[in-house]
Amino acid sequence: MMDAHRQNRLRALTTPVVLIAILLIFVLIVTATGDKSLARMAAQTLIRVIFVVGLWIFVGNSGVVSFGHAGFMAIGAYCSAWLTLRPQMKGMFLPDLPHWLASAEWPHLPATVVSGLLAALIALIVGAAILRLSGIAASIATFAFLAIVNTVYSNWEGVTGATSSVVGLDRYADEWVTLVWASVAVLVATLHANSASGLALRATREDEVAAAASGVNMYRHRLLSLVISGFFTGVSGVLLGHSLGVLNPNSFYLGITFITLAMLVVGGIGSLSGAVIGVLVLSVLIEGLVRFERGVEIGGASFALPSGAQEILIGIIMILVLIIRPSGLTGGRELRLPVLGGRVRHSKQEPQSTN
Amino acid sequence: MTKLGVFDLEVRYGKVPALGGVTLHLQEGERLFVSGPNGAGKSSLLKAIAGAVSSSHGRVELDGDIITGKSAEAIARYGLSMVPEGRDIFSTLTVEENLRVGTGIRADKQAIEGDIAEIYDAFPILGERRHANAGALSGGQQQMLAIGRGLMTNPKLMMVDEPSLGLAPNIVDQVYDTLVALQKERGLTLLIVEQSSARAARVGGRMVLLRGGQVVGDGDASEFAERDLLKEAYFGQADQSKSTEQVQ
Amino acid sequence: MNAVPQLFFDAASLGGIYAMAALGIALIFGVMNLVNFAHGEYIAFCVFALIVPSSDAVAVMFLGKAPAILLIPVLLALGALIAVASEYIVFRQLRNANPVAMMISSFALGFVIQNTLLAVYGSRPKAISLWPDLNTPISVAGASVPLLQLIVIITTLLVVSALALLLKKTRVGLEMRAAAENFTMARLLGVRANVVITGAFALSGALAAAVAMIMVTQTGVADVRMGGQIMLVAFIATVVGGLGSLPGAVAAGFLIGAISVVLQAALPLEARPFRDAFLYTLVVVILLVRPQGLFASASAKPRV
Repeated sequence: MMDAHRQNRLRALTTPVVLIAILLIFVLIVTATGDKSLARMAAQTLIRVIFVVGLWIFVGNSGVVSFGHAGFMAIGAYCSAWLTLRPQMKGMFLPDLPHWLASAEWPHLPATVVSGLLAALIALIVGAAILRLSGIAASIATFAFLAIVNTVYSNWEGVTGATSSVVGLDRYADEWVTLVWASVAVLVATLHANSASGLALRATREDEVAAAASGVNMYRHRLLSLVISGFFTGVSGVLLGHSLGVLNPNSFYLGITFITLAMLVVGGIGSLSGAVIGVLVLSVLIEGLVRFERGVEIGGASFALPSGAQEILIGIIMILVLIIRPSGLTGGRELRLPVLGGRVRHSKQEPQSTN
Repeated sequence: MTKLGVFDLEVRYGKVPALGGVTLHLQEGERLFVSGPNGAGKSSLLKAIAGAVSSSHGRVELDGDIITGKSAEAIARYGLSMVPEGRDIFSTLTVEENLRVGTGIRADKQAIEGDIAEIYDAFPILGERRHANAGALSGGQQQMLAIGRGLMTNPKLMMVDEPSLGLAPNIVDQVYDTLVALQKERGLTLLIVEQSSARAARVGGRMVLLRGGQVVGDGDASEFAERDLLKEAYFGQADQSKSTEQVQ
Repeated sequence: MNAVPQLFFDAASLGGIYAMAALGIALIFGVMNLVNFAHGEYIAFCVFALIVPSSDAVAVMFLGKAPAILLIPVLLALGALIAVASEYIVFRQLRNANPVAMMISSFALGFVIQNTLLAVYGSRPKAISLWPDLNTPISVAGASVPLLQLIVIITTLLVVSALALLLKKTRVGLEMRAAAENFTMARLLGVRANVVITGAFALSGALAAAVAMIMVTQTGVADVRMGGQIMLVAFIATVVGGLGSLPGAVAAGFLIGAISVVLQAALPLEARPFRDAFLYTLVVVILLVRPQGLFASASAKPRV
């Protein structure tokens, strides 16, 4: 009995190995083609992996849907811009920055970590308020948070450049840098999910009222997962900025909220593997659709999807998945390696969606 | 004539079986008590008959019509009414509005006002508080309202889940007196979940004992009452024997 | 020029729009526990139904050409239709799903409607002139008030009282209120679920159409994004009002309208662009004090 239990814990720890291997293979295939635009696509896919894994740390474990994580992304992205942009650029475009920020010229890594920490700090403050609400009300409040961030960043002329884009970010976030961060996110997500706090949190996911009655301190566990979650979504924002080279508040609003939520739902909200698989599947699909929107030549005739078809199609896919397979492609299961030296029969510890 | 026929009815919640093949029959105008420890499947049986949960196997016939698999709203139209455990009063509606919710399915609209008056006669306190919010009623008054509301659909078969739960004994007496009187007057068939065999014997009727989702006993309520009395004499408390049953 | 009555009329008319939008959302939440994120897009859909499909900057009237006596019922019916259709196509398939899955599907549906509008009409906001005469100011109680503001206030009062009468005095209203409180129990009493749900969606869609007409007349702009903005405020109003409480939604709608008008007047000039941020922050603070909402009924159960 004890042995089966330990085996099972061990197997749970093979999940990140499998997921990171999949991401590595994805990058290797893309670099093998030598296609520059594909490599950029790979980097942006991995950034979405970081975001969605970050989102999953909160949503997947707590069962509370957040519409506000794009806000943490914006906070991380702009913070890194403040820390790393050349001072002359900041003097020109962001004149109201305080002196110590205006003159800062940090190296990439510390800037990324500090930006993630700022997002985590905001998550702590916001979560302390919002997570006192019940599930659905909390979801709506996260939406309000997103609107607050968007309003502030779209209007704070001298600090964020408002709706005119911030340009000139160093575009260092290639497919390898983002792969490293995605791996870190997957590892931390696994560790958190298998920690005492993560397991307790998932107990509350099934039944909020019962868990509260049984003495699980739901509020504190939710808050912790939101803080970790905020850190990684913040980091994904940093990397997005340093992949595109340009920042605009509207890149961090409803569009990204929708796409990332679709990825989480399609992959399966109940498991970390679902988060990663969902991003890969939908990203490849989107890439294909975008090429179709530009037009393809088939037998001399050119076909093109009307613009906007991509979003409409993704929306329809998302609804169909919710209707036909509500637990997503992975069905709420984790990808795992069999552990050598013993068979594990049906594992009860395995966190599975009840759907 | 058989009013209600339940054949090998099974209910599962996920993988957990709640009802494992129950068969029972109820004659027109009969009064049947269903008893058994907590978790025996009494409420699941009632819910499955009424269509509030779906059964995984078996069938239910009402007046010879198969009603299995039909929605709760359709089954109500067959003349079946259920008063659930915990009463489920619409607390934001007034007392009278509660009574009227179920009248939409009746063909005899002209009889509705008379029936409401009859319920106020049976339970005068409801008449006094007809315009009060139902949420403001006491537990006993809510039980009366739930029964009155169930009657307002003009049912042929009424199922009441634990009418005595959480009520003072004198209120329980009043509730049962009214149920029996109404049954005589309207020719109702009654299925009542009642934990206490002594109370069932006093009211009178047949009794079915459920345990672990199966029927383990069927007979006159007075026989069960005698047996429980004996057990009490030997082991101290009847309730205690129930809790041992529960452990199994 | 008298500032206080002016503020009052601004607050009441803005609050009226919010109240109607919040009512549309609270109705659906009450009956089927669905947080309908597609509601804002019903509003946008009704706005764009007024004009000829094209991506030009100046809108050519389509339905909007019809006289008001015809236009109003047609647009209300159109709003009801899209709401009922979305229930039939999407939400009915998810009747047994958990509230989170339904909420996400409504978010996806809203995105589909929005992008369909974008594909057909283009992304640029369009100038559109529906009943421009209604913006002529008239003098009331020392304040100069556009006729439209008065109409909005009166319409809101009419709509809210008509809805209250419908819910209080009619058979279907009784069934809706019963179903809103306990759906299973209502069905056990023979209440037809589909009739009640379809009715709630039709009412909700018609409310969206009413909001659409008022917004277009007031702003003179048709913008694909206008639905999302008002929906967010309406959502917040339903949470502040106590999820599922209809009187609460109306009261909270007016309250938020009043707060935002007061903020607009009281904030220093340079802080005004941030008005919505202050508004939402204030709302979150209100919720912290009363997490169950300001006007939650005593029977409010813990809802997940």
